Amino acid sequence: MYSWIWRHLPGPTAVRLLEVLVLFLAVVALLFFVVFPWLEPYLPFDQVEVG
Amino acid sequence: MSTEPGRHSTGDPEPDPDETGRIMPDPVEPDPVEPDPSAPAAAPVERHMSSPPRRGAHRQAASRSATDTSDTADDPVEPDSVRESDRPTGRQRNGVGRTIVRGVGQTLITLGVIVLLFVVYEVYVTDLFGKQKQAAATEQLDEAWAEAWAQETTVSTVVETAQPTVVVEPSAQTIDPAQRTRSYDTTIGEGFAKLYVPAFGPDYVFTVIEGVEPDDLYVGPGHYPDTQYPGEKGNFAVAGHRVSKGSPFNDLGLLASCDAVVVETNEDWFVYRVLPMADEEATWATTQHPHCEGVEVQTGAYAGVYGRFITDPADYNVVRPVPGQSSDQVPEDAERLITLTTCHPQFSDAERMIVHATLVRTYAKADGFLPPELQEG
Repeated sequence: MYSWIWRHLPGPTAVRLLEVLVLFLAVVALLFFVVFPWLEPYLPFDQVEVG
Repeated sequence: MSTEPGRHSTGDPEPDPDETGRIMPDPVEPDPVEPDPSAPAAAPVERHMSSPPRRGAHRQAASRSATDTSDTADDPVEPDSVRESDRPTGRQRNGVGRTIVRGVGQTLITLGVIVLLFVVYEVYVTDLFGKQKQAAATEQLDEAWAEAWAQETTVSTVVETAQPTVVVEPSAQTIDPAQRTRSYDTTIGEGFAKLYVPAFGPDYVFTVIEGVEPDDLYVGPGHYPDTQYPGEKGNFAVAGHRVSKGSPFNDLGLLASCDAVVVETNEDWFVYRVLPMADEEATWATTQHPHCEGVEVQTGAYAGVYGRFITDPADYNVVRPVPGQSSDQVPEDAERLITLTTCHPQFSDAERMIVHATLVRTYAKADGFLPPELQEG
């Protein structure tokens, strides 16, 4: 998968590295702002109230 | 750098420097699991290099093969320079096996990174978000209070303009909580009071939010809407996160008996003190502490209500008017308690940590007056 992505990125190596960084940050942002907030209520360490 | 495996000599499973290598014609969209069946028929070409592959070298090799016109698509499972005799079967098995192993490996590494990112998110990122939300809620509450206060003082300055500002004696501000009635309304998700714990430092203050839904608790400690309000008879119950989301109740486990828990509302200061712990019950009468005035071992209906204990997540009775009783009715002779709940143990929510404190003093708010209990530190 990663080699496929690397092959399909345009530009020389330096530019590709930059593109990889941008892609990685985009994935992290997606996780932090969408996936994790959605996932959190289903995990067993977030409940602090009784009842 | 190239991640193409086995295309050239670097990834060769059978390195053989003087062997004739071959470059296969590249399918335009290769399927890594099923190598192109036409590949074995490709013409052998001169193995042209032993250095790590680069795109330029690759292109050169492709042109030499005379059958390849594409340099964008490669067969990632194509091993290089396989012996003529075992080429078809060996190549196929190698290709599929490698692809599967690599796929599993990449998936596991990816999942590991995601789990690590989740830890970072939970422990650090939600803290940042929670602090921002808490700051916004505090600002909103401060504005509301300042507005109400300005109106009040405008009226009073008209009446008594000559009144000079004096240092306010705590005793002069002390009032009977029974004479105070709640003069504010609350909205789910918005702040209505501030919680101080001087034992946690002078900067420990959180705006208490109405509601205990996840969205409310993200902002700050949340008041159980069905429980009483600060200073009222019964139980002012507040839940808060111990880890993440600003971690307001991270240190509840460090509270000692008689530590002050101060609640500020629009008009009043309510000073609660943590009740005796279970193991202090026997010796409570003989070991006194200056801050412990008004803090007694609980008896009668309140027997067994301690300063701190661990309970079951379903134990809603701890936030009822008389903790431990299943009734929602506030008895006539009810005490005025505050109850703090958070998860336990740290980084888990298998149980709940409960802190009970009792009201020992009430002050009316005044300009320039802060309860002396806030200085206890």
